[in-house]
Amino acid sequence: MRAFVIRRIMTSIPSVLGVVTLVFFMIHLAPGDPVEIMLGENAAPADRAALTKQLKLDRPIFEQYLSFLRGVATLDLGESIHTKKSVAGSIAERYGATLKLALASMLFAVTLAIPLGALAAVKKDTRYDRGAMMASLVGVSMPSFWLGPMLILAFAVELKWLPVAGADDWSSIILPAVTLGSAMSAILARLTRSTMIETLGEEYIITARAKGLSGFAVIFKHALGNALLPVVTIAGLQLGALLGGAIITETIFAWPGLGRLTIQAINARDYPLTQGCVLTIALSYVAVNLLTDILYALIDPRVRLK
Amino acid sequence: MTRGWFCWDNAALFAFIAFFSFSCSKTPAVEQGSLTMALEAGPAMIDPLKSTDAVAAKIEGLVFNGLVKRNDDFTISPDLAERWEFIADPLRAVFHLRSGVKFHDGSAFTSNDVKRAMDFILNPENASPLRSSFADVKSVEVSDDHTVIFNLNRKTAPFLSSLTLGIPKLGASNPVGTGPFRIVEIKRDDKVILERNAVYFDGAPKMSRLIIKIIPDETVRTLSLESGEVQIIMNPITPDLLPRFRENQRLKAVTSPSANYSYLGFNMEDPLAGNIAVRKAVAHAIDRQSVMSHILKGLAEPATGPISPNSGFYEGAVERYGYDPEKAKKILDEAGFPDPDGSGPTKRFTLRYSTSQNELRRRIAEVFQWQLEKVGIGLDIRSYEWGAFYADIKKGNFQIFSLTWVGVADPDILRYMFHSESMPPDGANRGRYKNAELDLLLSAGVTADGEGRRRVYSEAQKIIARDLPYVSLWRPLNVAVTDRRVREFHLSPDEGIKSLKNVYVEN
Amino acid sequence: MKSLPLNLKIGFAVTLAFVLIALFAPWIAPMSPLEQDLYGGLAGPGSDHLLGQDRLGRDMLSRIAYGARISLFVGLVVTVVSVTVGSLIGATAGYAGGRVDDFVMRVCDVFLAFPGILLAIAIMAVTGPSISNVMLALCLMGWTSYARLARGQTLSLKEREFIKAAIAMGASHPRIVFRHILPNIAAPLTVEATFGVASAIVAEAGLSFLGLGAQPPYPSLGSMLAEGRQFILVAPHLIMFPGAVIMLVVMGVNFFGDGIRDWLDPKRHARGDS
Repeated sequence: MRAFVIRRIMTSIPSVLGVVTLVFFMIHLAPGDPVEIMLGENAAPADRAALTKQLKLDRPIFEQYLSFLRGVATLDLGESIHTKKSVAGSIAERYGATLKLALASMLFAVTLAIPLGALAAVKKDTRYDRGAMMASLVGVSMPSFWLGPMLILAFAVELKWLPVAGADDWSSIILPAVTLGSAMSAILARLTRSTMIETLGEEYIITARAKGLSGFAVIFKHALGNALLPVVTIAGLQLGALLGGAIITETIFAWPGLGRLTIQAINARDYPLTQGCVLTIALSYVAVNLLTDILYALIDPRVRLK
Repeated sequence: MTRGWFCWDNAALFAFIAFFSFSCSKTPAVEQGSLTMALEAGPAMIDPLKSTDAVAAKIEGLVFNGLVKRNDDFTISPDLAERWEFIADPLRAVFHLRSGVKFHDGSAFTSNDVKRAMDFILNPENASPLRSSFADVKSVEVSDDHTVIFNLNRKTAPFLSSLTLGIPKLGASNPVGTGPFRIVEIKRDDKVILERNAVYFDGAPKMSRLIIKIIPDETVRTLSLESGEVQIIMNPITPDLLPRFRENQRLKAVTSPSANYSYLGFNMEDPLAGNIAVRKAVAHAIDRQSVMSHILKGLAEPATGPISPNSGFYEGAVERYGYDPEKAKKILDEAGFPDPDGSGPTKRFTLRYSTSQNELRRRIAEVFQWQLEKVGIGLDIRSYEWGAFYADIKKGNFQIFSLTWVGVADPDILRYMFHSESMPPDGANRGRYKNAELDLLLSAGVTADGEGRRRVYSEAQKIIARDLPYVSLWRPLNVAVTDRRVREFHLSPDEGIKSLKNVYVEN
Repeated sequence: MKSLPLNLKIGFAVTLAFVLIALFAPWIAPMSPLEQDLYGGLAGPGSDHLLGQDRLGRDMLSRIAYGARISLFVGLVVTVVSVTVGSLIGATAGYAGGRVDDFVMRVCDVFLAFPGILLAIAIMAVTGPSISNVMLALCLMGWTSYARLARGQTLSLKEREFIKAAIAMGASHPRIVFRHILPNIAAPLTVEATFGVASAIVAEAGLSFLGLGAQPPYPSLGSMLAEGRQFILVAPHLIMFPGAVIMLVVMGVNFFGDGIRDWLDPKRHARGDS
């Protein structure tokens, strides 16, 4: 097991380095002078010089790169151009909200997807199955920036059950979580259905049924349990993907998380802060994928041998 | 399997009941004697000696008093000071304080509190943003508990207005003032709870408790008002919501004149925006009236310059630029900016138009873009997050920008806006406008008196309207929407909420 | 000739309708999508304006038709470029193997380490908002999945007799890649590309929704949603119609892709899987 964990960590190192490098070069790939983009064409020379110095743009590129790497390793991502606050600090302030939203979305997605997928599998080729799969297709095709406003319209504006935006109490997370989790739910429902169909066709299930166990018990005790393993894995992988989707959802619901910070940073042309946000989201994604793989290997020893 | 379905139905029913009972518990009744108002943002801090943000100023207006106060018609009248006189040789101002005034903690307000507050501001170590407003104050002395003396370098007209500054009790851990309401609790970015000061010297407020809720999202503010959770909301209110509010029998909209002024600022050092013909053409090409009626839904009045018609210094006989696209085209043709293809898609030139990300401002930008295109001027709209936009403006990184001056009261603000020595970062002459004749007038206005001062500013307003460093847009009205039963509420011209002192709820 | 799957037919019909709207936008639109009528701002659907008017009184139907044009254009360009670049790189990597393959796969891993449209957002942050930059960003983000698919397909193809024969006969490497490998992996790439069009359309709308895509006054379905969001209380039609169009077209294209897959894979089709 230990060997597997070490091997798996090693394989993600190139990705991490690549991500850091790409984010570092972001500022250099900008068409034109980054200082000019941030401060504008008519900025005073003194301001330019100060910012160039702050961002170390006057140093040789290799030195800049090394100091960026050092910064990432020591969690020192510089300071925001406008607020002058530390980038790492600003991100830390917002990180919890995004994590909370991603977990709530996953919870919603899983609780909806597994019963729906199981139902579709058990009632394969009936109208229940087709209905569930149709619903999941709609779910995948519904862009969050439409679903979100529609949910607001229905549940906040018309029914007044839930808050429109913000993060005041527990109820304010419901609409963002549903918005962010619905596409994932649709994917998981399809996955549950197909793994479930596979499991239901397996020898021991057929035997169990032959032994006279009721259909209900077989489905819930035996088939579902076994079918869930791949579903849980994919859910883990998708948790990371939710971090990316959170950018739009947080914008819709004014959710005070990392995604909203990213957009605010971009709209302020605040490169250090933008870089920090993008880096944090991408590295979190890599980390979540890593953890999911390791957890999966813990549960299912066959994976380790691969 | 049927059993399974039955359970599902129950679960759905349960969820529905849970939702329903939850929604019921969310509609609160109006608590007697308590009033809730929603604001867009929270105060950065409550400290009249340090804070500069507009929200803090609103709340400070309820908690603190100045030596003097500014009335809705921009005149000054006594507040903590009952009367004052100026004495020459050496020049000083003597203020006689009202007696029997008590701070919220029960201690008496005396001249020492004024001195301590002023010493705090004048001490460079404290880096108070207000220090420049008191540049002509040499020192402050106390002669007895109710008399305070300001030693002055020179007598300036804006000096009295600057004494609207609220006087806090220094050294108190919480903000303590003398005003009609005292602060009970500040929950950052959530709410500020205020309570009536029963012994307020100018009569106790009618409401016993005031809750200022911070609700950044406008839709949420609107729904909170409609559900009765909040009884007052105030600008910014998207004008398009007004028809909806007017239809609602339970609500009413209260408008009042503001001291605000919306304009287009031009970069006078830019080859295009610095050209007077370009500015004149822009001024004639935009149709302000249709924006005021259809976009702003009448929540604005025409403006000819920064000074409000309600001010005694307003000069109406200045050059005006009505909507006249043909004239705009003619001006541009004559100034050597021919339209390459008549009404075709090629523009004479394109201007960068900087604005914040506020939806209304962006919408207005798009209207101007459409209108200017009709005369052959392209508009490249750049909208940025507020901090970045404002930083751009201060740094002179713009061709045209659109902004609103808030709280234009004393005409001396023209010096801050347009004097050639009032460039950023210390001044607000963001367009780098230079006119020696105007400089002389604006400098003279600081110390001038009576009719002389009026003449100086009349002349200054004429020059500004002729040179067009700003193209005037309009004067937004202040608007608040309240529960119909809320009485006596209106916004003061500087968007202040001091009227809350007299507000009551009719049953 | 077997009968076409139902989802293929439905998907094709919806997609075709969308393509026609986009192509014939100038004829479908009753007026210019930029023509303002401040007086009619936020007016709901009526006889003069079938889908109502936006916040500047512009005709929603016209804006949606032209918005569909932008969507379709971006979707097609991004997909064609991504598929071409991705499959070339992937096929070359798979065919060459060894270090080239390793390197390409590591690069893909780095690109895939950015969840969702984060990479595109990051690119837009430095290039500045415009539709052409959106296409650039989406191409940079999109090529990796085609590269991986093409590589995987090439690896299995390499073991087949006819490729080995071609190599033995001394055919040049480019010839093998272009004449033997690419034509034989075209089918799965086509299916993937169909879904790619849908995701490019959603991604463009998403970026424009965030204000990083199409700039005013040009209509993109995403920026129309963003502009309409403020008016959810008084003019919900501003978000309902453009959003519904995006959803329908994405569903249509996904159906279409599903259908093509079923059609190309009769075994799957016979199982009744969708």
